[in-house]
Amino acid sequence: MKNIICVAVLFFAATQLKAFALEPSEKLLFEKNSLYQYIQVIEDTAKKERYVRNQKREYTQGGIYINAPEKLLFEFTQMGFVSLPFLDRDPQDVLFVGLGAGAMPKYFSKRYPEAMIDIAEIDADMLSVAQKYFYFKENERMKAHVEDGRLFVKRSKKKYDWIVLDAYQNDYIPFHLTTVEFLKEVKSRLKDGGVVVANITAPYRNKFFDSMVMTYKKAFPHLAIFKGKRSANFIFVATTGIRGKDKDTVEARAKKIQATRKFDIDLADYASRFEPSETYEWSGAKILTDDFAPVQLYQYQKSGAQ
Amino acid sequence: MIKFVVFICGAIVMSFEILGSRVLAPNFGSSVFVWGSLISVFLAGLSAGYYLGGRLADLDPSSRKLSLIIIAPGLLFLTFPLYSVPISEWIFMKDLGVRISPLLASFALFLVPSVFLGIVSPYTAKLLICSLHTSGKTIGTLYALSTFGSIIGTLITSFYLITLAGTNALIVGQGVLLIVLAIPLYFMNLSCRIEQTSSAGGGNIR
Repeated sequence: MKNIICVAVLFFAATQLKAFALEPSEKLLFEKNSLYQYIQVIEDTAKKERYVRNQKREYTQGGIYINAPEKLLFEFTQMGFVSLPFLDRDPQDVLFVGLGAGAMPKYFSKRYPEAMIDIAEIDADMLSVAQKYFYFKENERMKAHVEDGRLFVKRSKKKYDWIVLDAYQNDYIPFHLTTVEFLKEVKSRLKDGGVVVANITAPYRNKFFDSMVMTYKKAFPHLAIFKGKRSANFIFVATTGIRGKDKDTVEARAKKIQATRKFDIDLADYASRFEPSETYEWSGAKILTDDFAPVQLYQYQKSGAQ
Repeated sequence: MIKFVVFICGAIVMSFEILGSRVLAPNFGSSVFVWGSLISVFLAGLSAGYYLGGRLADLDPSSRKLSLIIIAPGLLFLTFPLYSVPISEWIFMKDLGVRISPLLASFALFLVPSVFLGIVSPYTAKLLICSLHTSGKTIGTLYALSTFGSIIGTLITSFYLITLAGTNALIVGQGVLLIVLAIPLYFMNLSCRIEQTSSAGGGNIR
């Protein structure tokens, strides 16, 4: 009996929050409290852009240019492709964890039409939003699975060349997708020489960021970090292999990929932002585990480094 | 002392439920099915506990027996890290689907402790009711304390405790707390005097 109140509060607190005020140029196209989040599709008529976001402007999950929906609007989606030069071959099998507006898989499949793409997205409503408002289409080579990302990875029998981790709820990654156990499960789904790339949002720099660096370092032998110029996004690129890639190799390969696959973003420029993870490593940070991963609380705590 | 025990047991139920979501996530995700399973199993455990607790309370209740009722989940919590991972992984391997898997795991991991914690409220109510004139007040106070404990347990766990220690350490800590509480109860030798007064009253009428 007593539980009912607590349960109701907990259960609905996550989803039943009210929309915030819109800018005069913004038009609301769609809103819904899905099972997992408040989803809002907004069109900015002045900028001619369309976004999908949660409660706040800062919780934008994806977007497109209305007049050029095939282009990549956000820096983190562009910057994520900087991980492709870490792969010595063309990716054949690819997994995205977290769909958002579907911009990255859409962009990728256009340039690599021969690749097989799986997408794990927990929220069926997010999938329909991507289809309805963001021109995301599944086909025989690109399939979206409505499933928890961790479960998809754990249950998958398939191995991948390239795995993209970009699952967010509001401004945080669900804790079970941040832990060293999860990253090891992801690693076990990689083919030899495969690459994992993650979008890590962190106001520079908080405890969560420090912990993510050390947790990725714990799970993978090599980690390179790319810092956003226009956003608070970092791109983590983790590889297995015996030796890590150096900056020159990555830049050279980025140029080649850019030309052969006709990328309309400056991959080489992103590649030039290569930083070895040592720049950010701080041994005082706690490694996140299934047992201990206070993701949301760490987001609000200042880094202990320096 | 008894009231404090009720408060703490209320806190531990909800704290355990919050931690339960962390226990399930690695193998069963954090889908709505996981939350649904978790909540319904806790409620099933509590309702069974309330029922059983009421029956047990009519069988010569004493603080000594209450301490044993509290020690049982305490021991389960103390040993939780030993069995939670193998059980979760076994159910994961069985792959019974996105609904049945977390439901079964919740049953296996959370039902028994929540039954015992559910027993506490009606059992203590009987122990404390020594006057039929104020039984309403006693029961009301215990309900309030138990639920207030639940609120505190929920808030402290989700806002604070999970940054301080791992899930397993917190559950073991709850086990320690329950056992520490049970020890003085065992030696308190409190039993309900309602039987004596009512039978004496009955004698007068006869």
